[in-house]
Amino acid sequence: MSNTVVKCEKVEKTYQKDSVPVYALRGVDFEVNAGDFVSLSGPSGSGKSTLLNVIGGLDRPDSGEVTVDGVALSGLSESELTELRLRKMGFVFQAYNLIPVLSAQENVEFILQLQGVPQAERRERAEAALESLGLADMSHRQPGELSGGQQQRVAIARSIVSNPVLLLADEPTANLDSGTTEDLLGLLRRLNEQENMTIVTATHDPIVMSYTKRQVHLRDGAIERDALAA
Amino acid sequence: MSFKLVWQLSIRNILRHRRRNLMLFAAIAVAVTGVSSMNTLIRGMQYGMMDTAVENMTGHIKIHAPGYRDDPNIQKGFALDEDFEPPVPAEDMLGWAARIRIPAVIMSERETRGVQIVGVDPSAEAISFIGDVPIEGDGLESTDDGRILIGRELAIQLETEVGRRIVVITQGIDGRNREKGYRIVGTYDAEGTALEKMYVFTGLSSLQGLLDSEDVTEVSIRLVDEPKRLTFKQLLVGFFSELAVMDWLELEPMAAAMFIFADSVIYIWFALMMSALTFGLINTLITSVMERVKELGMVRALGMPKRMVLIQVVVESTIIMAVGVVIGLIGGYLVFLTIEDGINLGAFAEGMEMAGIASVLVPVLRWDDFILVAWLSLLLGILASLYPAWRAVKVQPLEAMRR
Ligand SMILES: Nc1ncnc2c1ncn2[C@@H]1O[C@H](COP(=O)(O)OP(=O)(O)OP(=O)(O)O)[C@@H](O)[C@H]1O
Ligand SMILES: [Mg+2]
Repeated sequence: MSNTVVKCEKVEKTYQKDSVPVYALRGVDFEVNAGDFVSLSGPSGSGKSTLLNVIGGLDRPDSGEVTVDGVALSGLSESELTELRLRKMGFVFQAYNLIPVLSAQENVEFILQLQGVPQAERRERAEAALESLGLADMSHRQPGELSGGQQQRVAIARSIVSNPVLLLADEPTANLDSGTTEDLLGLLRRLNEQENMTIVTATHDPIVMSYTKRQVHLRDGAIERDALAA
Repeated sequence: MSFKLVWQLSIRNILRHRRRNLMLFAAIAVAVTGVSSMNTLIRGMQYGMMDTAVENMTGHIKIHAPGYRDDPNIQKGFALDEDFEPPVPAEDMLGWAARIRIPAVIMSERETRGVQIVGVDPSAEAISFIGDVPIEGDGLESTDDGRILIGRELAIQLETEVGRRIVVITQGIDGRNREKGYRIVGTYDAEGTALEKMYVFTGLSSLQGLLDSEDVTEVSIRLVDEPKRLTFKQLLVGFFSELAVMDWLELEPMAAAMFIFADSVIYIWFALMMSALTFGLINTLITSVMERVKELGMVRALGMPKRMVLIQVVVESTIIMAVGVVIGLIGGYLVFLTIEDGINLGAFAEGMEMAGIASVLVPVLRWDDFILVAWLSLLLGILASLYPAWRAVKVQPLEAMRR
């Protein structure tokens, strides 16, 4: 029996571009269960980012309901959504993941500081997260002193350090070469398999899809195919 | 909410743009140095004016009979007990003096002038200018001294000099004129001010004898702390219920107006200097927020609350201001130390003495002025940050990161 972490029901989102409506999501029904590792793929403009943002509480659907870990997002105020993102979700973005004035370790601790975790515990958990991603040596470097792949790994460390119920990653490997991409995906797969972390990632990249357990294809704002890997 | 995090982010962001913020520190420091050292000069001028007014026979508080000020003469006098002491604690009082001060006509062989004749106890007059002006010839010796001390300028006008005789006519207690010949014991030099033409001095008892009265027309009290005048004025009003008790601001309305004006000059000067600066600060903060938009969007997406973003910008601004202000106040103090002995106004002095301003401007440092500058600056720092902070709070995570 799998419990549902994300549930989208008839989610619609329309943008206005030069007063022409752009249908980003057209009534998407979508569920993610605990322990899933899902890739969202599809052509550019198909609605991958929009779906991730709606799930992550960064954007609100025009209609339909998104439920995360049992909480209906439509009922939350903006500050409650902020709190929910802080407590329940981990984010890895394509770029600009890290605060440039903080070291790698401080960036990881940042989330725990926002959560009010005491200093000693914070340090321990941040060190453990960096260590588990093979970043122990880099913990005192500033983001500017890290490669793109290392920065993304720090971002993953930051996103998992608070034990979120859900990790959302929008094109986390888009700026990386294929070798580094595979490294990073190996890490995500390990997190998923060993820690049972639920992960949803949007991607263009077939390599990414080959690593995920479940591949969801979008087209024109609707789910075209939803397949579990063999 | 983690204040440590806010502090850490603020400090790091300030250090991130060292050069830009150094310029800002320098600008704030220079302005604060200017404001605080200028304040010591304005205070110096103000206190100089006050001292001149107070030493000019006024004192901080003065007691007259009612009606004396409209028509000063010995009939508007009042009696003091033999062993009278003002009811002001000795440690709060620099000194006090009882006097007769009435109009008189003074005549030499050649000229006649109108003056005020002042009967004094010379030993009590350390509280007025006559206690420390240079004197050619001798000063008065006692309250019984029947000789006269006049101003140098008056001696020139009367075409007379020390040792010569003059005649004084004034009104006695019965309303009739008294006339007395005096020998000039000395001439005093009050730096050529109008005082030299206005006041002539003789012994109090001796003058009482001439007027056939035991009364005095005024008691003048000089305090250690000018600001305490209101408290003691209250006390004296109760004590001298029949008499008029006034402080120097009431007695010298011109000087009082200048005194209050100097207070506002301090604020105006502060407002001018600091408002220019505040625009610079606002500008820098906006720049700093705008170039961090992506980062702000990201931290908001991760779950940083809006109020923390707001506080972070406010704290950043306040730190910048605080550093500038501390450097500026140290600068202001150093400037004060270098001019502590006074600035000689030299050529300007002639004209300014008329307004009761001394020829050497001695700055006065008041810590409460420094503290005021510090607080107002910090307040400005906070105000300046409100708009930039609002801009930072307005950042929408998705929009910011899409840029
Ligand atoms: N803020 C916005 N304003 C207007 N249109 C938008 C906005 N955000 C997204 N869209 C439009 O919505 C549609 C879906 O966009 P979305 O970013 O979800 O696509 P995507 O699948 O992530 O594409 P990509 O692979 O290029 O990242 C697109 O047509 C896009 O132009
Ligand atoms: Mg996208």
